This record gives sequence, C-alpha cells and structure tokens, in this order.
Amino acid sequence: MEALKIDSLTKRFGGVYALKNVSFSVEAGNRLAIIGPNGAGKTTLFNILNGQLTATSGRMYFYGQDISKMATHRRADLGLARSFQVSNLFFNLTVLDNVLLAIQGTESHRFQVFRLTTAYKDMFTKAQQLLSSVDLWGKRNDLVQNISHGEQRNLEIALSLASEPRLLLLDEPTAGLTAAESANIIEMIRKLGADTTVLIVAHDMDVVFGVANRIVVLHYGQLIAEGTPEEIQANSKVKEIYMGNEEGADNAGVD
Amino acid sequence: MDVFVLNILNGISFGALLFLLASGFSLIFGVMGILNVSHGALYMVGAYIGWTIAVKYDLNYWLAALAGGVVAGLISLAMERGFFRKLYKQFNEQLLLTFGFVYILNNLASWIWGPLYKAPFVAPFLAGSFSIMGRAYPTSRIAIIIIGLICVAVLWWLQDKTRVGAIVRAGMDDKEMTLGLGINLNLVYTAVFFLGSFMAGFAGVMGAQLLGVHPEISMEILLLALAVVIIGGVGSIQGALLGAMLIGIIDAFGKALFPEFAMFTIYLAMIVVLLIKPSGLLGRAV
Amino acid sequence: MGTAKQKSSGFLWQGQLIRFAPHIIGGVIFILLVPFLPTYIQSLMTKILIFAIFAMSLDLLMGYAGVLSLGHAAYFGVAGYAVGILMVHYGINSFWISAPLAILLSTLVAAIFGIIVLQVRGIYCILVTFALGQLLYSIAMKWRSVTNGEYGLTGIIRPDLGLPHFTWHTTSFYYFVFIVFAICFFLLYRLVKSPLGLALQGIREGESRMSALGYNTWLYKYIAFVIAGMFAGVAGVLFAYHNGIMVPPNLDVATSGFVMLMIIAGGMGTLYGSLIGAAVLIIIQFYAGVLTPERWPLILGGAFVLTIMYARAGIGVYLYKLYKKALLAWKP
Repeated sequence: MEALKIDSLTKRFGGVYALKNVSFSVEAGNRLAIIGPNGAGKTTLFNILNGQLTATSGRMYFYGQDISKMATHRRADLGLARSFQVSNLFFNLTVLDNVLLAIQGTESHRFQVFRLTTAYKDMFTKAQQLLSSVDLWGKRNDLVQNISHGEQRNLEIALSLASEPRLLLLDEPTAGLTAAESANIIEMIRKLGADTTVLIVAHDMDVVFGVANRIVVLHYGQLIAEGTPEEIQANSKVKEIYMGNEEGADNAGVD
Repeated sequence: MDVFVLNILNGISFGALLFLLASGFSLIFGVMGILNVSHGALYMVGAYIGWTIAVKYDLNYWLAALAGGVVAGLISLAMERGFFRKLYKQFNEQLLLTFGFVYILNNLASWIWGPLYKAPFVAPFLAGSFSIMGRAYPTSRIAIIIIGLICVAVLWWLQDKTRVGAIVRAGMDDKEMTLGLGINLNLVYTAVFFLGSFMAGFAGVMGAQLLGVHPEISMEILLLALAVVIIGGVGSIQGALLGAMLIGIIDAFGKALFPEFAMFTIYLAMIVVLLIKPSGLLGRAV
Repeated sequence: MGTAKQKSSGFLWQGQLIRFAPHIIGGVIFILLVPFLPTYIQSLMTKILIFAIFAMSLDLLMGYAGVLSLGHAAYFGVAGYAVGILMVHYGINSFWISAPLAILLSTLVAAIFGIIVLQVRGIYCILVTFALGQLLYSIAMKWRSVTNGEYGLTGIIRPDLGLPHFTWHTTSFYYFVFIVFAICFFLLYRLVKSPLGLALQGIREGESRMSALGYNTWLYKYIAFVIAGMFAGVAGVLFAYHNGIMVPPNLDVATSGFVMLMIIAGGMGTLYGSLIGAAVLIIIQFYAGVLTPERWPLILGGAFVLTIMYARAGIGVYLYKLYKKALLAWKP
C-alpha cells in the first residue's frame, strides 16, 4: 500500500524552480529521509505536501486519494501531520493548552460551545501520556515562551504526534538540540508503530541512518537519487554533492 | 457628450488628487508595514497650514502648498521617531497608535482653526476657467491633473528606474536580505515616510481648491484613500494610479447620476473587489 | 499543636477572603450598593454595564480570535436603530418582540460583513471593518425617512416587559441591565472555556499551525465574528433604551474606537478586562464631558497613545497579576 505518491511535482517562484519534476512514492510503514544541501527544496516540498503552498504543477496522492487541491485542515483530518523546522507553537498559551489543541484538532467535538474543555477527560489523559513521553508533564502550566528551546522542540514533535497520524512529516526535528535530546527524539520516532509512515527532513546523518530505511536526495529542487541507506552511501553523485558539506548542515537554508 | 467629457475630467482631476494622497499611504504601508490611519489627518493639517499661509496671511500660494507638505512631513517624522521606532515590528500596535493620533490631530485642528468649514481657496493665477467644448471648466482642476501627472511620472521613474527605487522595492520583498547588503534601510524608511506624508500635506492644499477644509475631512479623505488602496492594490505606483483613477471616475459619475448616493458607489466597488480579488486589482497577495 | 491548628484555620479563612475579594467587591458595588447611590451615578453604572457587554463582544473577536475590527459599532448601532425604528415607526413596544428582532438583525449584518472582512488578513481587517462601519454610518445619515438622519431617532422609551403594574425607574432599569450583563458574561465565559474558545485562541497565536492540526480556521473566525456581532447587538438594544435616542455617530469609527480602547485599556483576551476598561473610560468620558467637552476627543486620543505605549497589557491584567501575587503570599 502506498502511503504517499508524488507525481512530477514542480514549484516555481517567478523564474526560480524550487522543485522540478519531483516524483517518488513511500510504502506504508516506511521511514523515508529526505536529504540534500541547503536550498534543495526540502521544506518547500513539505509545505506543498502540507497544503500551505500550492504546487505549480504535479499531483500528490495520500493512500490513493488525490490531495493535490485539498485544504490543509482537511489533509490533517485524513491523517497527515507535520512538525515545523522553526517551532510553530502557541507561545502565549500553556504547554497543556498547546497539546490539548493538537489533540482536539481532529476530534469531532472541536466545535463544541456547550461544554467546557475540562469535561473531556480522555483528552487530558492523552495529553498526560503525550507530555510525559517528552518529559513536559511537570511544566504543563508554564507558558511556552517560558520553556527552554530544547523543551520547545520536544513540544513541537509532541504536537505533531497528537493526532496519531498515518503520515508524519518531520522537518528537521533535531535542529538545535543537544546530542542527548536528539537521541531521545530518535528513540521516539523509532517507537512509532507501523501504522505511522514517517517522512523526515534531516541534515544530521546520525538521525538519518538511525531512523530511515529509505532515502531520497534532492539537489536544486530535483530528485537525484533514491534508495536504501547503503545504496545512497555508495552513490557517487551523492558523494560529489556532499563532499565538504558535512559541516555545512548548520547554515540557515533557504529551503 | 460635452457633459460626459466634463464628468471624465472631474473624475481624472479628483483621481489625480486621490493619487497624491493614496500613493503615499500605499508606499508607507508597502515599505514599512505601517498602516498610517492618520494619513488623512496629515492631509487635513496640510490644508489648514496652506489656508493659514495663503488666505490668512495672503502669501504666495505655492509657498503655502510646500509648507503644508513640509509640516505634514515633520509631524510624521515626530511620529516615527517618538513612537513607531519604539514599537518595531508590532504592526497592530502601530496601527492603533495612528488611530489615537487621528483624534489628537483632529481635535487640535479644531482647537486652533475652529470647527467651521473653510471655503475652497485657489492660487490667484489658477482662479477662473478654461473653455472646454464650449463650457467653462475651472483652471484649478486642470492644474491638479497636470501636477498629478508630473507626480506620477516622477514616482514611476523613481520606483522603476533608480537605485533608490530598487532598494525600496527590495526592502518590501525581503528586508533581511536588503539589510544584509549593507544598505541603510532605516534612512530609506524615514525618507519614504517623510515623502509619503509630505505628499499627503501637499495634496491637502491642492485638494482645498475643490473641497475646502474642516476637521472631519481627515476621516472622509482617509476612506477614499482606503478605497484606492483596496481597489488598486498595495505597494505600487501603478496600483495607486489605477485605483485613484477608478475611484475618481466612479465618484464623478456617481455624483452626476445620483448625487445623494455617490459615496455608496465607492463602497460597492470596494466590496466587489474584496469579494473577487482581495489583494486589489494590481496588488500582491495580502 | 492546638494553637498551630487554630492559626492555620485563621490563615485559611483569610486566604479564601483574598481569593474572592474581587467578586465580593464587585458584588457589593454592582448589586448591593446601587439603590443607595444618586440617580446620575446609577445611570452611569448602567451605561458602564452596557458598554461592558459591547466590549466583551469585541474582546471575543479581537482578544480571543485575534481578528482586528474597527467597525464593531455597526452591529451595536444596527440593533439600537432597529429597536428605535420598531418603536417609533411601528409602535412596537414589547421587549420580547423588538429585542430578538434587533439582535437577529445585527447578527445577520455580522454574518454578511464577516464574509467580506475575512477575505483579507491581519491589519487589512482593520481597514475593511472601518470601511463597512462607515458604510452603515452613511446609510444612517442618508436614509432620513427611516432614521431621521443626523438629527437622530428620538422618542425611544423603556420597553414594555409585559409585566402588570410595572413602571420603569432608574434603579429597576439598572437591575434589568445587570441581569442581561450577568447572562452575557456567563455565556461568554462558557464560550471561551469551551473547545471552540480554546481553538480561537490557538488561531490568534498561530493560524498556520492550527490549519496543520486540522482546524478550518476561516470557519472559526467567521463564527467568532457572527457571535461577536450578536452580543454587540444585545448591547445596542440596551443602549437604545437607556439613551432614548440613536444618532448616526453611534455606528461610526468614533464609537468603534471607543470600545476598542476599552478592551485594550482593560486587558484584551480577558473578559473581566472589558468591565474594567468600560468603567474607566465611561467615567473619564463623563468627567471630560462636564469639565472640557470640546477636548474630549483629544483626551481620548491621548489615552489611546499612552495606553498603547505604556500599558499595553491593560489595567485589568495588571490588577489580575497583583491579585495572583496576593493569593500566593497567603498560601500556608
């Protein structure tokens, strides 16, 4: 079963091609890493998959369904979740409120006005589980703007997991984290079941080889290689691009 | 037929006036992200200063027009230094602030010059009329059209053909990048703010030839500038020009066909554009 | 041991007192004290409560959902005029007929305007709402046969409640308004604490994230817009009865700006801030009207600027923080 299929996806900004004829598919349950130098188009790809950006041409299929023109919130309802490279959190709300919103997002009661939020006990149980898994239950009443960067990144991941998605897009989940914090995130991703297919954009090769069973390489918006980690490591084109770029991963990219 | 032509001329002259006003407003918003609701009040201040110099003290008309612009520009600089700088990037706060300035400027104007309407006043050599298609047409309106055309030409040239214009347009698209190129964006911003506000004040004196001046005019004229920006789109001279001409002509024909309800035709145009192309006819996405 | 126990229960009692201090003070002032105050103060308090409802409606839209509006007086004024027109032109005095119709009308106007306003985002909303508010102002000025234009619609009297042997006095009207205020406060409180209320705050804080989480953000903002218009209509109805006259400026940017300043000064995103902001501004307006009526707009503008520059979070929030500190200090 193909969880995701991308067909000739192209995105132009004026005269510049951010993505050019990118096509690939992901089998359900796989962990696909998307790598490439800065500016390769990785975050643009995610923005299009998510619905925040519209592709110039090309189509996308989610479990066989054409989602190319579907609104972002409807894709979430279908089971597509995403984490952001730059933490996209609700800074003036508490950690708990952030998670509740994430859980509530695909729940049927999210339009309720007649009952108080506190009446929905299972949401709170779920929130506790989620926050405990990232060690943030103790800080649930703190405002997000007051917790540390590492804790914010952890929350960022937790939010994307809240809806128990079928397809999870993780955009540089370990950006700015310490080695220990990164290891924790990698563990979390490993623990996700076969029901969740994961696409992960990463610069850190530890993350890539620790999590992925397939890799796709983008360069200047084009797909230049695809295969298992071993195949990619042996690929001469890929080595050419990355020669000398192993430390370049920290530069802020115009992805 | 001649009535039709005269209405078109009315529309174009009013449109030229609106262009002077709205281009400043649009530029300031496009470049600095500040929606200066008090732009209409600056128009009013310019008109009052112009009146004081040209009518009360009976001095040279063009001096009055320049003074109107300069005073408006100076007030805007005070706003920028004293207030907007301190609220860097807080766009909502800046807008609410300009709203407070409207109240202050309106009431001060009413205090200084009295609440009554001041009748239209023109430059001595612009008094009188031209003969167009056998009818008398006020020379002052022709002058407004000419001045408007000159401004369009100058601003268009500045925007598209000069280095300064390129910097401003780049600043609108990507501020960080422009700063990274070592350009003193702050200076450019201040200059744009001053220029836009100067034009508002200058437009005030020009407009006084047709509309006179009174304290409520700041809101009325703001609404028109708003209509121009909504219809034409933000951030470009071309958008301001298109919007201004359309509003001017709609207004002229509205006044000719159903005088009581002329303003409603403008509201209608705004609503239609908002429903069909919210970013304005020539605007970038909001 | 024994004395320690007594001490701690003494502590507890005082702790509870502090916890409910605002409610007690509020209750005393707004419920118990009123009949003993001079008539003009009762009238002023009535006006404060009416504007508190108006302000809360705007706070739902601006403070919770994050949609800026400088034309909220449109819905307030439409409802007020509706009540007046029904009474003056059609002789309909019954509260139970006029009020629902008027509120329905203001909700309908909000439903229509909401579609236009939500075509644009952020700061642009302020401009569009401003324009739409002025549109209604123009209609009120021009449609003289219905609204009596700039002279205002006069002759609006207190409504017929259908109660036998009941006549209106300042005090009874005050309690009537208070009951409506309490109901509105209760409903809005429940709303902001509901899943929908939480979602609105999420949209304010990060609309793109909310979309990614599965929320139809346009729909939520629209719902907030319409509900805000409805409650503004409630305030408008009460205002018409209280004021006796509706004039076009009740629909324009001056009134919209006035109530916006109330929520900013009182504290956006908190319902109690609306009451505090309304109280502060209505009192200032009253005394400005007595001492320097000509300069009232100047004072209002100055208050706007000062509040934005130096008291951005609002007086209500400042008081709330004091309250929280006091509570903490008393924890045994």
